[in-house]
Amino acid sequence: MAEIGHGGKEIVERIMDPAQAKEKIKGLKQIPIRSQIANEVIGIAYGFFSPLEGFMGKADVDGICKDMHLANGVLWSIPIVFDLSDAEISDYGIKVGDSVVLTYQGNPMALFEIEEIYEYDKKTICQAVYGTTDDKHPGCARTYAYKDKFVGGKITLINRPKINPPFEPYFIPPLEMRKRFKEKGWVRVVAHQTRNVPHTGHEWLMKGAWLQTYGELSIEKPIVGVLVNAIIGEKRKGDYIDEAIILCQDELRKSGYFGDHNHLTSLTFWDMRYAGPKEAIFHAILRTNLGLTHHMYGRDHAGVGTYYGPYDAHYLLESVKNELNITPVYSMNWLYCPHCGEVTSEGLCNHKKEWQKFSGTVIRSIILDGVKPPRLIFRPEVFDLVMECAEKYGFGSPFVTDEYLQNRTPVFTIPPLG
Amino acid sequence: MAEEKYPINIWINEERYEKLKAVGLANLCEEMLAGLKVLRVYANDAQKDKILKVFPTAKFDSATTKSIELLPRDVKDKMFDLVIEKKSVDIMDEFLSKY
Repeated sequence: MAEIGHGGKEIVERIMDPAQAKEKIKGLKQIPIRSQIANEVIGIAYGFFSPLEGFMGKADVDGICKDMHLANGVLWSIPIVFDLSDAEISDYGIKVGDSVVLTYQGNPMALFEIEEIYEYDKKTICQAVYGTTDDKHPGCARTYAYKDKFVGGKITLINRPKINPPFEPYFIPPLEMRKRFKEKGWVRVVAHQTRNVPHTGHEWLMKGAWLQTYGELSIEKPIVGVLVNAIIGEKRKGDYIDEAIILCQDELRKSGYFGDHNHLTSLTFWDMRYAGPKEAIFHAILRTNLGLTHHMYGRDHAGVGTYYGPYDAHYLLESVKNELNITPVYSMNWLYCPHCGEVTSEGLCNHKKEWQKFSGTVIRSIILDGVKPPRLIFRPEVFDLVMECAEKYGFGSPFVTDEYLQNRTPVFTIPPLG
Repeated sequence: MAEEKYPINIWINEERYEKLKAVGLANLCEEMLAGLKVLRVYANDAQKDKILKVFPTAKFDSATTKSIELLPRDVKDKMFDLVIEKKSVDIMDEFLSKY
């Protein structure tokens, strides 16, 4: 039976058999790509970005900038583009109608059928997607760093990535994910978007969303799950290392704060744009394709600095909910109330003057100072695992350092085409 | 209107607590988040901007706590040592004069 994704389109894996690929790419030009583009090739090929079949042409980017829709009328909020400099286009001698091989880590990764080469005003993209043209916004900085031209066309993966330890169990593409949900008997699944090691505020966000998602369903059987979908992409110094993020999220299940019957951890390759409301829409699309029915959105989802209002993402989601095949589950902040003696929600507790707010940033600060947070704030099993990850994967630190960036094992590698 | 002040949370581990106790300053600690001890020093607007510039890993948690976080541990140690020396949390001018 066809699996239907965002925009009502069937999810199709655009992946070629290696033997066929070997023949197909003979004599084709090769273009090396950076990690940003490699992440997006995986997103396109496995159907995470369905209905996209490749990198966008000008009409799609225009549609997104004008009214947040692709040229075919499907809701879409962030351009997925392939950039090349004029010099590269000239040096490679590529033109519309060519097929080229995209290589990553020195090996063939994907076939790229070039349909269009065009220019686009980067400020227009920034204003439309990020609501600002300020180059201090990380999404704008990324957009301004794009090279002179965009190249649109279809992508076919010719070489599956080898997902390296400890990440391999967590790479579950859309078609496989949907099978897992069926095996578990989950009829509703709510997404938890993360780039963090979980503190108890995150844990209660998930538990609250799980309850909201159950709604009117009978609770006799475990038929609702939480899917932790960790965003794995470009790292900044001071972020948690990827290994700690994925393993510690799963530790909540392994240590019994959740169970197999209601919790699953996975990853998606994506470089955060920090586009706030527009990224919230993108996340809804991504998780629709993964087969989720619900998606939790907290305060300032995917925001950065003070560019967006705390609930702007909620308002934008509400305005397009008829075009989304996923139900947003909204949440307020969770915090510690010394009067209640528990982690609670702004929407529940009325001891406002006593509230002690905390965030992922504050928890990182506590750990940096060499202090173990109390179990009500941070689970001891998770803390111990953070420290284990620091030793095993982080060159002594649970946070990204220059040494980690230079010497870590990549999350995935592209093997020689066998 | 009073000038805005931004806290820097110096989280108190055993080593720091022993130092505070030794000089009779343990009462400067506040209790936070289900049992954590914290010492707060404050920066004004200009000092906050300078801290964020001088220490690029530092982050102003504008969304949740309005505090300056993620200063390297050795920087926090220097601030802490200054608190011990001056027996006061009013150390920011002197601390930043070295940068």
